[in-house]
Amino acid sequence: MAVIETNNLKKIYNDDTVPVHALNDVDLHIEKGEFTAIVGPSGSGKTTLLNIIGGLDEPTSGEVKVNGTDLFSLSESELINYRLHHIGFVFQAYNLIPVLTAMENVSFILQLQGRSSKECKQRSMELLQEVGLKDRLNNRPNELSGGQQQRVAVARALAPYPDFILADEPTANLDSVSSGNLLDMMANLNEKENMTFIFSTHDQRVIDRARRVVTLVDGKINKDEKRDV
Amino acid sequence: MLILKLGWKNIWRSPIRSGVVIGAVLIGTWAGIFILAFSNGMTKQYIKDQLDTYVGHIQIHDPKYLQENLPQYSISQPDSLIQQLKSYPFITNIAAHSEVQGLAMSSANTFGVSIIGIDTTEEKKVSTVYTDIKKGNYLKNDVRNPVIIGQKLADKLDLRLHSKLILNFQDIHNEISAGAFRVVGIFSTNNSTFDEQNIFVQKDDLDRLLGQPGLVDELVLRVDNIKQAPNYAKRLQKKYPDLTVQSWGDIAPELRYADASMDYTMYIFMGVLILALTLGIINTMLMAVMERTKELGMLMAVGMNRSRVFSMILIETFYLIFVAVPIGLLLAWGTVAVTAHTGIDVSAFSKGLAAYGLSTVIHPELSGIYYLNISIMMGIAAILAAIYPAWKALNLKPVEAIRKL
Repeated sequence: MAVIETNNLKKIYNDDTVPVHALNDVDLHIEKGEFTAIVGPSGSGKTTLLNIIGGLDEPTSGEVKVNGTDLFSLSESELINYRLHHIGFVFQAYNLIPVLTAMENVSFILQLQGRSSKECKQRSMELLQEVGLKDRLNNRPNELSGGQQQRVAVARALAPYPDFILADEPTANLDSVSSGNLLDMMANLNEKENMTFIFSTHDQRVIDRARRVVTLVDGKINKDEKRDV
Repeated sequence: MLILKLGWKNIWRSPIRSGVVIGAVLIGTWAGIFILAFSNGMTKQYIKDQLDTYVGHIQIHDPKYLQENLPQYSISQPDSLIQQLKSYPFITNIAAHSEVQGLAMSSANTFGVSIIGIDTTEEKKVSTVYTDIKKGNYLKNDVRNPVIIGQKLADKLDLRLHSKLILNFQDIHNEISAGAFRVVGIFSTNNSTFDEQNIFVQKDDLDRLLGQPGLVDELVLRVDNIKQAPNYAKRLQKKYPDLTVQSWGDIAPELRYADASMDYTMYIFMGVLILALTLGIINTMLMAVMERTKELGMLMAVGMNRSRVFSMILIETFYLIFVAVPIGLLLAWGTVAVTAHTGIDVSAFSKGLAAYGLSTVIHPELSGIYYLNISIMMGIAAILAAIYPAWKALNLKPVEAIRKL
């Protein structure tokens, strides 16, 4: 069974004025452990696709199944809960909570899940160690570089034991060295833990590392290429 | 715990902004409660002063006296009545008055006054006018027909100690009667209107001029528990249906009104103050929510449900208020405690205050229940202040809030 399955996915904005077809009959199946890049020119629908797969936006028609669950048959509170337990997000602008330390930023997701303090602390430390930030546990985001903040964001995305991670332009605000390091880390996690990653990106470095590249043009899948990397 | 910790850290993102709000709530609470205590103390003192000066706790009259205000409508068999009243354990003191409306004439001027005949020994137990004698004495018998007058009347009639004053009035036979009196004392109470309109003479002197020794037009009673005065008055009225027995609230309804309306007035004042503070808090919290649109969107995206987001905004608002309120309450309590003891001298406004019967030294006072009720009002204000900003936060769509993804 595919981790993510979209069937005849359509998204139309402003359908009562000047309709914009952001997505047009997108069928996409993503298997466990894939390292997939969604690419395409600006306005092709990459972010819209990721938002819908992540349950943040609702399609105009079509379905999205995650591990067999039809996302949009869930109520709003069920959907929020589903995101909490099954989906990890990495944002372009990191979106860390500025008043919390790196450790607290990672552990708060686990606290939202209702896990014990001991478990939250242990997992947060392990993840931050894994992303190379064991010496930065008590630093706040404004005390970390961009690359380090994005690593915290990845650790946060991994914290709740998600089924997959959605990363929207994760390297867009990083320099080349930081981008390279981040990609190495994510590729490593993908190999080691068989974690499914789905990126939306313009970054050629990300595209080069992806084992599957799905090209969107005008809301449609133009090309779907699996590669050995 | 997560929400509590996050909420606390969030309010200190902008220490100056939060500090200003906390300061405003603190000062508002402190000043508001102090003003309440000041007003309450002033009102209580005003009521006490009026009761102590001339009203007493209960008054007894013949019903016709209250209608006609003529001395001939006196209480019959007053001595017997007084003896009976003394048997009531709740009555602590009784004073008998004869009273007539007349004219006070000096060489300079003439003025309408109430002429009250008193027994100084008994009168001291129901009235504090004797403590307000500023010049002279309290009707000592070393001159013939002594009189004590208020300072304001003395000024109007251009009288000094030992001045002569002619009192002109109708006796009980409706004949014009007059007497020459000598000013032996000048008093000045907190009520300049009272000082202007009332003069006191020896009861025997007035009764003689009225034509009936032992005349009693009015009995003034003091009781052991002023709060029970209305009940005591009802009880006495049942016992003496031929007389009119009134508690102080009936004799001086403006005092009863002042007492009864004080609570409402105080809560209205506090309510307005809290409303103003609440609007400031709403503004601050709205800014805090709008500034954190992306972050709130992210929180909802990663799985923080709406009730937790709402709770977080509510808790932040509570923190802003409840850091400040206990300190404000404590400062207010301390200020009230100190000034209740020392009093606040407002003699700079003495003329204006005296016209209304208000003291020039105010002792603020406020019972503990007000502190509790104001805390509850602030709690309700916190909830109300949080509603609109929290509603704004709840209506954020994560995908739009973080569209700057």
